[in-house]
Amino acid sequence: MDSKPVVEFINVTKKIKQKMIIDDISFDVYAGEVFGFLGPNGAGKTTTIRMLFGLISITAGEVLINGYSIKTEYEKAIAHVGGIIENPEMYQYLTGYQNLAQYARMYPSITHDRIDEVLALVKLSQNAQDKVKTYSLGMRQRLGLAQALLHKPSLIVLDEPTNGLDPAGIHELRDHLRMLAKKETIAILVSSHLLTEMELMCDRIGIIQNGKLLDIQTVNDLLLNQTTAKVLFTVDYRSKAKLCLAKMGYTEVMMTLMKENALELTLDVNQIPDIIAAFVADGIKVFGADRTTKTLEDRFLELTGGDGLA
Amino acid sequence: MALRRMFNLILNEAIKIFHQLSTYIMLTLLIGSVIAAGFIFKYNGQTSYANEDWKTQLTQQNKDLEKVLKKQNENDALEKVLSQTPTGGVELKDVIEQDIKTNHYRIDHNLPPTEGRTLWGSVTQTSGLIPLVSLLSIIISAGIVAGEFISGTIKLLLIRPIKRWKVLLSKYMTVLLFAFGGLLILFSTSFLVGGLFYGFSGANQPYLSYINGRVTEVNMVGHIFTTYAYACVSLLMMVTFAFMISTVFRNNAMAVGTSLFLLFTGDVLVSLLSKYSWVKYVLFANTDLTQYLRGAPLVEGMTMKFSLLVLTVYFVFFLATSWIFFSRRDVRE
Repeated sequence: MDSKPVVEFINVTKKIKQKMIIDDISFDVYAGEVFGFLGPNGAGKTTTIRMLFGLISITAGEVLINGYSIKTEYEKAIAHVGGIIENPEMYQYLTGYQNLAQYARMYPSITHDRIDEVLALVKLSQNAQDKVKTYSLGMRQRLGLAQALLHKPSLIVLDEPTNGLDPAGIHELRDHLRMLAKKETIAILVSSHLLTEMELMCDRIGIIQNGKLLDIQTVNDLLLNQTTAKVLFTVDYRSKAKLCLAKMGYTEVMMTLMKENALELTLDVNQIPDIIAAFVADGIKVFGADRTTKTLEDRFLELTGGDGLA
Repeated sequence: MALRRMFNLILNEAIKIFHQLSTYIMLTLLIGSVIAAGFIFKYNGQTSYANEDWKTQLTQQNKDLEKVLKKQNENDALEKVLSQTPTGGVELKDVIEQDIKTNHYRIDHNLPPTEGRTLWGSVTQTSGLIPLVSLLSIIISAGIVAGEFISGTIKLLLIRPIKRWKVLLSKYMTVLLFAFGGLLILFSTSFLVGGLFYGFSGANQPYLSYINGRVTEVNMVGHIFTTYAYACVSLLMMVTFAFMISTVFRNNAMAVGTSLFLLFTGDVLVSLLSKYSWVKYVLFANTDLTQYLRGAPLVEGMTMKFSLLVLTVYFVFFLATSWIFFSRRDVRE
């Protein structure tokens, strides 16, 4: 991760008819890292990504890819970028293979073998000769990934990549992206409005809201330095347990509505054994003590003022 | 290198066009129309010149024409007395004189007329189907840019290391190639249909052209080619117009609608406005360049040079507008 930045956003601003869409965003994505772009719908994620691809103009600031400006050296800058913007819309009346062949012809030298290779990589070899209109959403998403990888880019940008994927597919995509980042030292920029997904996939997360980049968090740091956590206790009698906790000095106990006989409280993780011991001593049956690592979510809520979390 | 890339882009566009069912429906329609027209002309077309007595028929025709000419001359003389205004352009009597001379030439050189039920007569008649090729090309042109925006495929197309204007150029070239292919299909089907109905033996018949007061033998293919070339002016302009609408509004229904409306009403529009002198700046007043061959321009004082200039201005405007909108505007689809 301590390598050169593959993409640099430098004070990027987008205005449409005097309305500020993206307000002075700056961040870098390095080779070998997965950078998450997190924000509620309409925060400006897609707009930022479209500026990176040159699909929409940049009002002020600069996007550099491998040192080339997307504004002035478009062909050089974009040559080593692959990606999906929102849904990967392909030509429905062409087969998966024919779609990839279309894109292959737009790069200097992509062989038929390379097309077969990426089709195998996304597990579409069996369906390569079927028309895309017969594909499921998940298959389209995978074909989208295949076209993004086709020309061996040094930067992959995926806008909401897990849309339409089933849990197994999401898991696979996650492993795949991490593998690409670590083994082939590709820089990966992923956007999403799903926090839990980002936590599992990314090394760093940038939080965007109303066109402003609020904060950049390193996921590892968050998890390692975690001292306090939200814990959910499941017991036989909730009121009894609450009384017990009150005796110990815990007054901010949440009775969650989601589960009967469950209590939620935020505490130092080292205290969990003490509480369980106290419950047992009072004759309260403990069925579970679940740590919900929602620290990033808390941070997110704190930053965005609890607005629009999906 | 750059040329190869452009070739690849055009190949991509062609693949997209020829993997859509609608393209095949359109081409079937075109070929079907030529065959249908062939049948209609064979059984309902103008009277043919029976093989043996075409000479007597032409002689009779000439006698009739001379009578008309005589009458016309008398009328003219009368008219000149009544009004001092000189009549412009080619007059009816010139056309009649031309016909008489051509008929004489046919009789003298033993060249039966090609009009009506002959191979070339059939090809000439079915060249009236060129507007159908225009129609099909307009449909392709209207969809080639707008279609990508409508389906959302424009995004994955424009994130390649190819500047937008090159993508646009490849699309325009593809449309022109399609139109050219359509004309080629029209011509070859016409030729085949004509040949099957009337025999291919008439293929080396010359066309009799009337140049500078003399009847001249011209190569028939050359003549048909000229006919096609004149008809192409309107085709090229309307296809380019559809391309512009398609690029600017990113809506193919609108592009097809406006272009076809103008293609079919343009001439009517111009004739309605023909009393105003500014009508000469209207595109459709200039798309029919044969008006100068006939020597009867729509507005007096219009010349071939003037029309070519007007056409060029429109053409450049259509293309420049497409180019500016396609390469500058944000893609938010």
